[in-house]
Amino acid sequence: MSGLLGLSWRLLRGGGRRGLLGAGLTAVAVAVSTALLIFSVSANVAFQGRAEREAWRNPVAAGTAAVAVQAVRKDYVRDRTVTVVDLAVLKPGTAPPPGLDRLPAPGEVWFSPALAELARELPAGELAGRFPEKVAGTIGDEALVHPGELVAVRGQAPDSPIMRAAATGDPRDGFPPTRVADFTGTPSPDAQAYQALALIATVLMAVPLLVFGGAAARLTVARRDQRLAALRLVGATPGQVVTMTVAEAVITAVAGAVAGTVLYGLLTPLLAGIEIGGGSWFAADLWPDVPYTLAVLGAVPLLVGLSAVVGLRRVVVSPLGVARRETPPAMRVVRVVALLAVLAVVPTLGAGSAAGVVAVVLGLAFLAINLTGPWVVGVIGGITARTARGPARLLAGRRLVDDPRAAWRTVSGVAMTGFVAGFIGFLSPSSGLLGDADAATLRVTVPTAQASQLTAEARERLSEAGVPARVAVTGTGESRFLAVTVGKPARADETAADETAADETAADEAAVDRARTALGGLVPGRTATSAADEERFGVLLLKDVGTGTVVVLTVSFLVAVVSAGITAASSILDRRQTYALLRLAGTPLEVLNRARRAETLVPLAVMGGGSILVGMFCAVPFSFSSVNIGGMTILLVCVTLGFAGVIGAGAASAPLLRSVTADPAPRPD
Amino acid sequence: MTAVVLEGFDLVKRFGSTVALDGVGLAVGRGEAVAIMGPSGSGKSTLLHCLAGITRPDAGEVHLLGQRVDAMGERQRSALRRTRFGFVFQFGQLLPELPAEENVALPLMLGGTSRAEAVRRAREWFGPLGLGGMEGRRPGELSGGQAQRVAIARALITRPAVVFADEPTGALDQATGHDTMRLLVEATRGNDASLVVVTHDPQVARWCDRTVEVRDGRILTGAGTAAGPYPGHDARGYPGHDAQAHPGHDVRGHPGNDGPGSLTRILPGRNG
Repeated sequence: MSGLLGLSWRLLRGGGRRGLLGAGLTAVAVAVSTALLIFSVSANVAFQGRAEREAWRNPVAAGTAAVAVQAVRKDYVRDRTVTVVDLAVLKPGTAPPPGLDRLPAPGEVWFSPALAELARELPAGELAGRFPEKVAGTIGDEALVHPGELVAVRGQAPDSPIMRAAATGDPRDGFPPTRVADFTGTPSPDAQAYQALALIATVLMAVPLLVFGGAAARLTVARRDQRLAALRLVGATPGQVVTMTVAEAVITAVAGAVAGTVLYGLLTPLLAGIEIGGGSWFAADLWPDVPYTLAVLGAVPLLVGLSAVVGLRRVVVSPLGVARRETPPAMRVVRVVALLAVLAVVPTLGAGSAAGVVAVVLGLAFLAINLTGPWVVGVIGGITARTARGPARLLAGRRLVDDPRAAWRTVSGVAMTGFVAGFIGFLSPSSGLLGDADAATLRVTVPTAQASQLTAEARERLSEAGVPARVAVTGTGESRFLAVTVGKPARADETAADETAADETAADEAAVDRARTALGGLVPGRTATSAADEERFGVLLLKDVGTGTVVVLTVSFLVAVVSAGITAASSILDRRQTYALLRLAGTPLEVLNRARRAETLVPLAVMGGGSILVGMFCAVPFSFSSVNIGGMTILLVCVTLGFAGVIGAGAASAPLLRSVTADPAPRPD
Repeated sequence: MTAVVLEGFDLVKRFGSTVALDGVGLAVGRGEAVAIMGPSGSGKSTLLHCLAGITRPDAGEVHLLGQRVDAMGERQRSALRRTRFGFVFQFGQLLPELPAEENVALPLMLGGTSRAEAVRRAREWFGPLGLGGMEGRRPGELSGGQAQRVAIARALITRPAVVFADEPTGALDQATGHDTMRLLVEATRGNDASLVVVTHDPQVARWCDRTVEVRDGRILTGAGTAAGPYPGHDARGYPGHDAQAHPGHDVRGHPGNDGPGSLTRILPGRNG
């Protein structure tokens, strides 16, 4: 066996400059796939990490065995959210919550690093004044969702009014005082939603990557099959041929996978800067998890090897199988049936379906497109060849018919991206729904009985803080709101307020924050919030969907363009003798380049369009609204980038074509 | 005076420190078949490449019907190779994904002939070359000899002035090689084209009117008259034979045609 491996190694090294170039292309393809694959896996780990770090802030009620009371609410400063956790210890000696070195005593507060910094930066009246307690420490990273998160943990006495406040309306705004047995908590529904979205994004990224990696392996085999068929002819057993091929593919793939891991490591700082959920990432979040990385490092060469075996089947079955090129058997319509079968399942899905099921169906739709692609390419090739008038289109059409899989490999990446773009483009909610809510009116629910007393106190606090504002009580029955409109004169007949601030719309952020600070603790356990604060989460979610879309599409495009470039280059290497002889016989290079362009663009147009439609179809069950401008813009940009990228990648290999055809005595190697 | 179609003067070509051609001259007459023989590395292929406008000689001139080939740009030489020359290589020149008839029609299509017309004219070649019924087959479905005959048809379909063949029988067995050479010589002659064959096989060379021996980049003096027995003068039946005259093929100022064997001469190199 070692003799065989040695021979494979020598074949690989002895492939000459062009052989090495071919192996190099494969290694590059594998490296890019590996790096992106680790990224897509790491993203899941990273979201899981966030969910786990946030879990302690979602208290789980514990009944009698409670060791502490925990209340969580959201406060706001500028356009950011501050999570305020109030803790009252019932049983001393309990393990402190994550990120704190000890249990907080009443009158103490812990700040997250970002909150501490912001509290120093802003005037005390805008932020720091909300936390009159003694700053006792800094919350550790293990309790923060992201490095920029604003969190405060305050110690309270069990009988303080805050720890006895009534429930707020929306659980997203926080938790009422809850008796807890420990500080483990549970992942929030939002965190779980992000994890589900990350999983879908992973499928959207990973499937094209695997297809691409497999294509890279075929690429090695395609170049080698002639030589291996020769080995078979001189008496190598099928087992030996398989071993050698797999060895060669795996050697290349291992090199590529290791390079890809290093590449990912180098990219980590860049990737950690992607803002999701209101902040960027801890570098450790995106560091590849050791077991997962090892799994990827093991799986990639394995898949490449497997793909090589499949590609080699024909050589092994018959030594003459690849030496003699015959009309390939037409591909069966079964491939289309597979796609239709998967698509038939789609309408049964809905927004309520489990993320795992959706991911599986999406993955299957992807694979079905990949299965159908070559068949469609073959059909298109037949039409192109039949209708061709000039030599370039004839060459392109015949080539598509001859090897639809190879042509599909070139465009599959972009077609897959089309699927992703179609899916997301249709899914993106319209951004026009949010964003222009009133940011200047703070509201807080008040008990009806105390309404007038609290109104007076609010006015007093605001005037002490120098914030011009009109305070009024709205609502009826038990649900009374204290509405504080910042920037308006406190009373129509008063002239004490700053005249310049009288403009209704010009309530500046600083004044609103001063009002928030002044109103802090007015109603224990409640935060005065504006309509803009309340839709902050929605705005954030929309922004995140946009960011996620851009990330997924960027990955898809990277894969697509790299794959188009590599397949274009390798197809030139594979056919260099024929190309060279054609050029010797006077065929202009432009004709060959035109033919190469046509054999990419024709299937690209058909399959790209088709995939976009399939992607849209898959998105229908989940879409909130009809197609919107934002989604259409994404689609349009994708289509443009896709074509430009593939044309560019093809054009980039034109010098290679020139160089391989410049050899006046081409010989197959 | 014989009608010289293609002529190389004092051709010199170096690859690094290796001198592939060291002052070679060669003239090819109209309708003449010339074999260039020599061992591997003697420079015979380089000579063919220089004559065919594939490579540019470092010194010397190549004239096709009075036109300086060596002075042309790559684009012009490419067009010249496409229109005035035909090529038959050892193997691999047919596009595997194109049916035989489209392989033959391709040069015409490159020249702007409509596809239907090009394929129609391509088909005319199949019968005479013994390829009847093979029009729709792909190169992988043809035997080596059949593939070479398709290549011959492709080389001749543009009615070239000169056909260049580089080891055209190199990948064939002896009997098939014999048949292929006969067809190549007959078809070329039937189309009034000249033929330049590079080979190391004396059996192949015997089919030509004349053989020149190349050694170490020079033509061996006195080796130029070995015309072999010439089996096939009968070239009727080839599509080009009784077709209309091709413009530019007749050599102005050289109306005489004294017959193939006597048309050519070897020009000694300036230094030899």
